[in-house]
Amino acid sequence: MILATSIVLIVASLLMVVLVLMHKGKGGGLSDMFGGGVSSSLGGSSVVERNLDRLTIGVGVVWFASIVVLGLLFKGKGVG
Amino acid sequence: MLTAFARAFRTPDLRKKLLFTLFIILVFRLGSVFPTPNVNVKVLKDTADAAKESNQLYGLVDLFSGGALLKLSIFALGIMPYITASIILQLLTVVIPRLEALKKEGQSGTTKITQYTRYLTVGLAILQATGIVAMASTGQLFQGVSGGDEVLYEKGLFPIIVMVITMVAGTTVIMWLGELVTDRGVGNGMSILIFTQVVAVFPAQFWSIYKTKNGFVFALVILVGLAIMAGVVFVEQAQRRIPVQYAKRMVGRRMYGGTSTYIPLKVNQAGIIPIIFASSLLYLPVLATQLWPNTKWLQKVQPYLQQDNAWHMGIYFVLIIFFTYFYVAITFNPTEVADNMKKYGGFIPGIRPGRPTAEYLDYVLTRITTPGALYLGLVSLVPMVAFALLKATQEFPFGGASILIVVGVGLDTVKQIESQLQQRNYEGFLR
Repeated sequence: MILATSIVLIVASLLMVVLVLMHKGKGGGLSDMFGGGVSSSLGGSSVVERNLDRLTIGVGVVWFASIVVLGLLFKGKGVG
Repeated sequence: MLTAFARAFRTPDLRKKLLFTLFIILVFRLGSVFPTPNVNVKVLKDTADAAKESNQLYGLVDLFSGGALLKLSIFALGIMPYITASIILQLLTVVIPRLEALKKEGQSGTTKITQYTRYLTVGLAILQATGIVAMASTGQLFQGVSGGDEVLYEKGLFPIIVMVITMVAGTTVIMWLGELVTDRGVGNGMSILIFTQVVAVFPAQFWSIYKTKNGFVFALVILVGLAIMAGVVFVEQAQRRIPVQYAKRMVGRRMYGGTSTYIPLKVNQAGIIPIIFASSLLYLPVLATQLWPNTKWLQKVQPYLQQDNAWHMGIYFVLIIFFTYFYVAITFNPTEVADNMKKYGGFIPGIRPGRPTAEYLDYVLTRITTPGALYLGLVSLVPMVAFALLKATQEFPFGGASILIVVGVGLDTVKQIESQLQQRNYEGFLR
């Protein structure tokens, strides 16, 4: 059981990393991090970005759920 | 002030942004307390508490990571990898010609650099996560505390790899959260997340002062904190305005230019980045003493790493001044500004365009940065000095860095909210 959940978690984690990296970086780095200029983010996100957002949220939920399950499994095993 | 807040929430557009930001902060905090699988929460809490009492350096670690690191949560690494990656790339743009060319390219080049930063973040996250999990499994994370090696349930290779991967994914999620805030929320996402991390540990630290000292010291700490904060706000807002006159010119039948504006040169042009640089540099030996506690020369170095040690303060001060000049030199290029002004027919009254203007800007900037650098150094030292005298140093939650972060990010965010508010009505937070 632990093994199966672990594998799910690994896959979800890797997917998460890849998906986030596929997003276009909006951070702008350090330069506008503290007291930088006014960031002008005009224009909405494209369809690709929006679908990517949805996908990322979906994988994120799976990721989080598998963390919870795995945490509980370890806890149950540790006590027993 | 309060009516402005009410108005901010009555504007539907802004309300949505504010609520979104709050939601992201909530998710971030939730992830920061949620333990990674395979961590024995109860044992971990006991050992962490014991470690914090026996060695003050752990308090520092706590402050830097918003308490997430010692909980070994899924967001244990916080945004530190991203900050480190940004710093590294900033420094590399000066050294590597290719990156410099990219930076000059404008929008598309910046996007590319950002993308590199994100890749580097993942790389750093892998390194740090491996280090931390390995230390936790061998009990090195908590030196000299019994039960330090019981923190994990299982110490096989596979569960540990799972933990590392989870933490790495957590770090990328943080990165994403920050970008979402920048994109759809209020203010700059990364700085808001840092702000959250710093502020999150304040209440607990205040409480521990109140418990260990008496009420008088507690009140004094708060008073001094507020006084410093007021001073910091004052200096952060200070700027010198260099007047610029644009010549009138005819293009076709239209008149252009003829306006007079100014270039604002802030006293503290570098923001809090020098402090972050300096403290991360000084944090390295601290980390080293924890990793290899038995090395001879590291043991000799250790006493100098305490916050109230005179050597530590001196080096910190010098580093901050150095980095302030360094960072201002990176971010503000007088020659470039002068060239741009010349291109659009602008000039500083009394000074010829081109090289003399660049020299003048450089002269003013160098002079104005001197008090700025001294101010940064002093602000970061004042708490250390004052409370070394009071023997309360280690519990004092306001490192200079945290105050500057809180004030800087706070001011910035309020300014952004205000500018959004002014699109609708004119009265804002700041008069």
